[in-house]
Amino acid sequence: MISSLGQDWKAAQTPGNWPHGGRPDSGRPAVQVEALGKDFRHPMTQRLKTAVHEVSFDVPEGGVFGLLGPNGAGKTTTLRMLLGLLPATRGQAWLLGRPAGPPESRQDVGFLPENPYFYDHLTALEFLEFSGELAGLPRAGARIQAHELIERVGLTHAANTRMRRYSKGMLQRAGLAHALMGRPRLLFLDEPMSGLDPIGRREVVDLIRDLKQQGTTVVFSSHILHDVEVLCDRIAILRAGRLLASGTLDALLAHKGTGAELVVRPRGSLALPPEFLGVTIETLGAGTRLWIEDGTRASALVARLAGQGHEIVSLTPERQSLEDLFMGMFEGAHDVGGDPERSLNEERRAQQ
Amino acid sequence: MNAIVAIARGTFREAVRDRVLFLVVGFGVISLGLSRLLSPIALGEGERVTVDLGLSALGLLGIAIIALVGTNLVHKEIERRTIHVVLSRPVSRTSYLVGKWAGLSLTMAVAVGAMGGILLAVAVSVRGPGAVGPVAQAVLLIILSNTLLAALAVLFSSLSTPILSVVYTLGLYATGYWTNDLRDFAAAMPGGLGGLVRGVSFVIPNLELFNLRPQVAHLQTAPTMQLALAFGYAAAYAAAALALAVVAFERRELK
Repeated sequence: MISSLGQDWKAAQTPGNWPHGGRPDSGRPAVQVEALGKDFRHPMTQRLKTAVHEVSFDVPEGGVFGLLGPNGAGKTTTLRMLLGLLPATRGQAWLLGRPAGPPESRQDVGFLPENPYFYDHLTALEFLEFSGELAGLPRAGARIQAHELIERVGLTHAANTRMRRYSKGMLQRAGLAHALMGRPRLLFLDEPMSGLDPIGRREVVDLIRDLKQQGTTVVFSSHILHDVEVLCDRIAILRAGRLLASGTLDALLAHKGTGAELVVRPRGSLALPPEFLGVTIETLGAGTRLWIEDGTRASALVARLAGQGHEIVSLTPERQSLEDLFMGMFEGAHDVGGDPERSLNEERRAQQ
Repeated sequence: MNAIVAIARGTFREAVRDRVLFLVVGFGVISLGLSRLLSPIALGEGERVTVDLGLSALGLLGIAIIALVGTNLVHKEIERRTIHVVLSRPVSRTSYLVGKWAGLSLTMAVAVGAMGGILLAVAVSVRGPGAVGPVAQAVLLIILSNTLLAALAVLFSSLSTPILSVVYTLGLYATGYWTNDLRDFAAAMPGGLGGLVRGVSFVIPNLELFNLRPQVAHLQTAPTMQLALAFGYAAAYAAAALALAVVAFERRELK
């Protein structure tokens, strides 16, 4: 079971306790991606294939960011470019204010690869010590942290078992512990729920929430919409290497063109003017529910009804689910708020 | 430096727990035993043959470890993507390759050193205490020559498939004992071709530099100059091979 760690862990996660003494680059996004792209050359035909087109997005510090898209969308390739495993063909990116690519950019960064496969003949404890040393911890410190994380991911019973005997779920847990070694400020998780049973998935969701509370920035890729909707503050949606949309989940799900629900407590008879003839009305005990297809006209309706002396109980814009948004985008049925890169630039200007 | 040590230690741990290494060391022990058994049929040269065959077995043990463990070292990690675990940390590709080489060399050195200890005991029992110095030097140079071959194995493993890496490494091991003959051939060849063959003979590792079997046969220790030359050559050759591996590996895409 993935349990919470004690005070030591939490104390170490507070900004004043970071090994490099605070967060000199706070205020900047944890991840900045500008027009990042990747082409691969086919080994036989030498033909170029673009896996990721010019993709731009920002991940603010301390949030949970979901990279969403079907298989082959370019999520993993994007993560690998950010981590310096693949050189970008074009564009640039920064991790915690450092240009992505060189080893220094991965200081304070943790990574869980998709379907992790580790060293067969090492035990989880040895592997985590190894991982901690790679993260720059002294050997003794790595050992202490390895024990803590083994407990946290629920592998205490198998800490000294060689990992070739691990099930897929156990490897995933070991991978999560590996990603957390060194207490990174920025965590990349590639399909973190993959291979886990429902209990394990729930535990990972709780873990990510814990990390967020402790101020860790989490970027994870997934094609499981529910996980993304439950965890993320912001998302980017990729399809065939192109960024379809990015922004806060709230903004993307409450986008224009959807309806709104209005609940009023009528004072006398509820007479709608002719321009609101399409509004459906349903009586709910003491109140009345009105449904307006065009949510942009809802405020006009509210003003009109308030002017007539009716009590306005609530106005709720229709919020589509992430699945609605996702499926709509992939069927090409929805306009998702215009050019995503333009949206990002506007967002950056607003921040400045 | 921490990362190199951690990678070397991880590589060593992985290698010594692999069944392949047990098979290779088992084969080495059997070879040593056989060399002792063969001594009675060596027409009065039994003691010399025992030590000579033992040193040959040690050399073969070293190259077998390099070929079976080393040539798969980097390639396997790329295939299984365990390399992502390492390189997603603040670790350079240079540190990764040097760590792998150091871990492989350590594995080979421990196995060859342990077998060398057994051979030393056998040599002292059959040839007396005078065998200690020459045999110890010979074992040391076998280890040294294999660190050079380990660098080549890492180079090939980071660029090619395991099978091709085995072929290249064993090919260079086999030709490495013929570099002086190759230069003699080159001198007898016409101009351009002779120059080419001579050039190739300098690229192939000169493993004859590390061969102290003739001295051991006469219970003579090698001059310090020869040992220093062997050390210098191994260090320079391994550094060059690793530098080449780094240049190629820096550009490699880890999909």
